[in-house]
Amino acid sequence: MSSFIALPKGVSEESFAKAIKEYRALLGDDRVRTDSASLQSYLKIMIPESEELHKPSAAMYPRTVQEIQAIVAIANKYKTPLWTVSTGKNMGYGSAAPATRGQIVLDLKTMKKIIHVDEELGHCLVEPGVTYYDLQQYFKKHKMNLWVDVPAPSSMASPVGNTADRGVGYTPYGEHFLVSCGMEVVLANGDVIRTGTGGVQNSTSWQSYKWGYGPYVDGLFTQSNYGIITKMGVWLLKGPPPGGYMPFLMKFPKVEMLADIVKTFMPLRLAQIIPNACVVVNAGWEAAGYFTYDKSGKGTNRSTFFKGKGSLPPKVFQEIMDKYKVGAWNFYAALYGSPEQVALNWKYVSGSFKAKFGNQVEIFTEKEAKDDPIFEYRKQLMMGGSTLQEFGLYNWRGGGGSMWFAPVAAARPSECDKQMRLATEILNKHGFDYVSEFIVGWREMHHIIDLLYDRTQPDEMHKAYRCFDELLKVFTKNGYGTYRTNIAFMEKAANTYGPEMRKIHRDLKKALDPNNILAPGKSGINLDIPL
Amino acid sequence: MMNTSRRAFFKTFLSAGAALAVSGTVAHTGPAEAAIQGQITGVCLYVPSLGKASEFVEMMNNNAPGNWTVHPLQGTLTEYYFTTRLLYEEARGSANTFVGVVDPATFAVVHEAIVDSSGSFHYITYQDSNRITFSVQL
Repeated sequence: MSSFIALPKGVSEESFAKAIKEYRALLGDDRVRTDSASLQSYLKIMIPESEELHKPSAAMYPRTVQEIQAIVAIANKYKTPLWTVSTGKNMGYGSAAPATRGQIVLDLKTMKKIIHVDEELGHCLVEPGVTYYDLQQYFKKHKMNLWVDVPAPSSMASPVGNTADRGVGYTPYGEHFLVSCGMEVVLANGDVIRTGTGGVQNSTSWQSYKWGYGPYVDGLFTQSNYGIITKMGVWLLKGPPPGGYMPFLMKFPKVEMLADIVKTFMPLRLAQIIPNACVVVNAGWEAAGYFTYDKSGKGTNRSTFFKGKGSLPPKVFQEIMDKYKVGAWNFYAALYGSPEQVALNWKYVSGSFKAKFGNQVEIFTEKEAKDDPIFEYRKQLMMGGSTLQEFGLYNWRGGGGSMWFAPVAAARPSECDKQMRLATEILNKHGFDYVSEFIVGWREMHHIIDLLYDRTQPDEMHKAYRCFDELLKVFTKNGYGTYRTNIAFMEKAANTYGPEMRKIHRDLKKALDPNNILAPGKSGINLDIPL
Repeated sequence: MMNTSRRAFFKTFLSAGAALAVSGTVAHTGPAEAAIQGQITGVCLYVPSLGKASEFVEMMNNNAPGNWTVHPLQGTLTEYYFTTRLLYEEARGSANTFVGVVDPATFAVVHEAIVDSSGSFHYITYQDSNRITFSVQL
């Protein structure tokens, strides 16, 4: 019987025990954990696979770059793989669990320094354990009029972790990798590199100029396992003057209106009249928020409306829409600038939608929305506020199962409509509901679909896995790539990008991490598995 | 009034959690151990849609006697997160048992609040699809 709850692949108990002894000599017993209770927190996966497949062997909590350099030296010596997390909030994508069993979680939440914030130019340099909330508190404490773009779990997620997984947010700086500027990375051989202009001695522009000189390498350290990011620069927005922020909502009554909605807002988005990563949210997603805040005090969710098997019939969806007064589609966006600019742009925006939809569109600004909690949630997201409302989705079906299926759609009306129809058909076929939002980027949309299922029911686990698998296959066949996926499907998602891309990913891995010690399996990159 | 099955559930859940907490044992949930009466200083979080405060207090004192404080989680999910962090950190200095009865959305947030406060769990149990019980180490 092993004294560890899991072991890395190919590492004996004796060898692993020696490695742990060396890790403990470096960090102390308290910062190297192998007990079951400490490791449980890394197993709150929401994907339809057994926790056994993703059980870590240990967790470590370094505080400095030097400690991480020493850790990778030990990892190379004993071939103990390290699964790095910043704050581990990759919920719906695998949370903090490793892609393969037996990896040691290198938990960087203990590296919490905000190294600097430059109010003049609007940028900061942070360690991986710093959360968006920490930054917001820093701005407040130092009376800085700065905003940081946030992903949905903003109160507890970290800019480093979210950017490293190429997450997105909701302000004009919604594309997080685009607004990152400069990284410090520990490589598998222990070298520390600074990207961009960070390598220049006494650099004054590390967080101001992204590209540096020669090949730009920052992308190699996102959605990858080629290094451990220990610092990252993030660009920040200047808060607009009073009256210079105007969030709004437009509700549309019919599912079939999606193409026309896209057709109406994309010219405004391209012209930067609507400058932010706005969203088009479907009725299921929108209603789930109200389930959590049902003022009756009763627990409400999907089963309140439908106790049958299979996906929700359209008439029940309509009943939910009527009860919570949500649209079949709900478009949230915001205007920014001086009050005069905002007022003028609002004329263009509201005029365009009224001209296209007439009385078929309901328009809400803060005045009409009053204290609506879901409007407030969206308002917070689009100004880089702190909110965790998105987790209300988990009350939709119950049972704790959630996987984000996240294809990218070129922002064309026909393509968005086709993706919506394809996804609905496949999800319904497997007995699941279409619960989605489109996050509008520069020329594309992240089509974020939450496959919600009941993890307490084994048959739903199997169905959810098969459903996700079919979504991936059918979308790939139609030319739609996924932008991100969970740890159960990383290998399969990597395959959809073709053998040449897989080969170069592998060649880079061989060059940078020949012992395969950094997060094997991340994005399907794993030297243990032949292509 | 709570029905019989809920009473049985609370008896099992609270006694097991309390016994584990006072003994410091790390284990998965199982049949109720005899609670060490008189030694429990407990904190219980719950979401109001799953029961009333008076019911929680009554049941906890009936089945795992001690000094219990119940906290309904109120407001937004964001507030749940920060409230849980605060209560957990306070409980570390003043209680020996920290348990909860929550829905899946709340659990997603409460779990992270505990973990972010360097806490870990004795057990987490889905009583049904919409009700999760947990006990946290202190």
